[in-house]
Amino acid sequence: MKYFNFIIVLIIFSVLGLSSCKKEETVTTKTSGDVGLDIEHVWGSAEEEFILNKEYTHPLTNDKMTFTIFRYYVSNLRLKSTDGTWFTQPDSYYIVDLGTDETFLSIPEVPGGEYTDIEVTFGVDSLHNVSGAQTGALAPSNSMFWSWNSGYIMLKAEGISPNSLTGNFIFHLGGFMGENKVQTTKTYNFGTTPLVIDGNREAEIHLVANPAKLWHSADNLATKSSMTIPGVIAKTMSSTFYNGIKFDHIHN
Amino acid sequence: MSTSIKQGLGLLFMIVILGSCQDIQDEASFDLSYPAYFPEPHYQFGKNKLTKDGFELGKSLFYDPIVSRDSTISCSSCHFQGHAFADHNSTLSTGIDGLKGVRNSPAMFNLAWNTSFMWDGGINHIEVMPVAPITNHVEMDETMAKLVAKLRSNAKYNAYFKQVFGNNTEVDDQQILFVLAQFMSLLVSDNSRYDQFRKGLVEFDEEENAGYLIFKKYCTQCHAEPLFTDFSFRNNGLEFKNDDFGRQKVPLLDDDFMKFKVPSLRNVEMTYPYMHDGRFRTLKMVLDHYSTSLVPHENLDPSLKNAGQIGIPLSENDKEKLLVFLKTLNDYTFISNPLFGE
Repeated sequence: MKYFNFIIVLIIFSVLGLSSCKKEETVTTKTSGDVGLDIEHVWGSAEEEFILNKEYTHPLTNDKMTFTIFRYYVSNLRLKSTDGTWFTQPDSYYIVDLGTDETFLSIPEVPGGEYTDIEVTFGVDSLHNVSGAQTGALAPSNSMFWSWNSGYIMLKAEGISPNSLTGNFIFHLGGFMGENKVQTTKTYNFGTTPLVIDGNREAEIHLVANPAKLWHSADNLATKSSMTIPGVIAKTMSSTFYNGIKFDHIHN
Repeated sequence: MSTSIKQGLGLLFMIVILGSCQDIQDEASFDLSYPAYFPEPHYQFGKNKLTKDGFELGKSLFYDPIVSRDSTISCSSCHFQGHAFADHNSTLSTGIDGLKGVRNSPAMFNLAWNTSFMWDGGINHIEVMPVAPITNHVEMDETMAKLVAKLRSNAKYNAYFKQVFGNNTEVDDQQILFVLAQFMSLLVSDNSRYDQFRKGLVEFDEEENAGYLIFKKYCTQCHAEPLFTDFSFRNNGLEFKNDDFGRQKVPLLDDDFMKFKVPSLRNVEMTYPYMHDGRFRTLKMVLDHYSTSLVPHENLDPSLKNAGQIGIPLSENDKEKLLVFLKTLNDYTFISNPLFGE
């Protein structure tokens, strides 16, 4: 029995030893760092600073608009390395919310290296619209989820306007499948200088979004001040907005 | 190998085996069990780990009015076990502040086999189903955010959720929806007289058999055995009422005019009134509808047309026999099972 005890102890130690070795290995590989994705919001062709609770005039419809809510989903962030491979952020879901100033998104633990492009999905991929109860940015408690026709509200823009017959405007844009699916994936190239991540600096990517673009191919508020279901209007409005989001600069 | 080493290894193996047996046993009693003639369930739980504690917590929430804005309405207010979790025979259910909904509360059983939820199938997953009644302004009128906050500050639930999901977790939407899905999924109705017949435990009598034959001839195209629905959506020739377009008005589905889900006929006798708006009080009225009163909508389901004739050719005698057969679908074990009761 002495031998037996000895062998058992040996087995236990070797198992413990093996598993602890493994852990160390993964921790010390690369100098990873956080990347900030800052989305600045501007209004109209003059690109004045866009904030909630301030009246703007739309350059095309001439509607006077004061936004009280402006929120939208950004997901599935990926970074392209100079060697051509992609880093895909796991579980990558964010709500950009002008009400809480959540316009600076942090991408943690990006592996060290040099990157040339970022890929961004505006909206939520179709898989996560059909996969049941989610957490974090995808939790229904964020009020960005349609309960009666399952799916995420990809973008919410609400406010007041003297041009609307009701005095208000409410746009809840979404729809994740079929020809009117809203989610749009875009890639932005950083130009000549790559984004460097070596754990010693703040790497930031700056994009510019222009909420006025929602109404670039849409009716004015006197004609339509509300849209809260998926369909061709949600598709048109969201795509003019998403396609208007442009790359500005990076910081290393 | 020396004897002591052999003994030692034997002991080790026994520990491993005993340990796993324990797990299997605990889970077995709380697995989703169903008869061999049922198909594979649609819902596979995935990340939602089914446990007895999780199920019990889901049951507590199901019976607790805390889920509504003013703590007056629970899920069980409109889904009563004695009626196979349909409402108490109300045409339309009464929600918060005495407000009425627009559709008849469906019965709840064998939900793990459902491919979609609600009369129009607008909900695509069992886990997100409860968000609809909880947040609907004429049902419970609560927000998920406030419900999460209420449960976090409730000592009983706070401890209960930690018991299920671990001490280092906080109640969130997903935890709430996971445990409700566990409770709902385990509501299996599989012990009706029809089931005992399928299991070879009883024989149908002459009338039941005659009714079963008529049923198989005219009804199983939609109410497919053994779940008594094929989960499809069809226009079944109802008169258009109350601006209810059914599935046509669900944007992502964008289906045909007045298509509604084929409901299961299990426990059908105790879930009256019938149809998406509860317009028929009795099963006889339903059978009369299908035999003589169909509205010939352009997209009337083809199964309701026979050689140019609209309607199912049922004699009064056929209907009587069908009604006898339909009673064999009552599952009295299910409606009295204390595992599902308050």
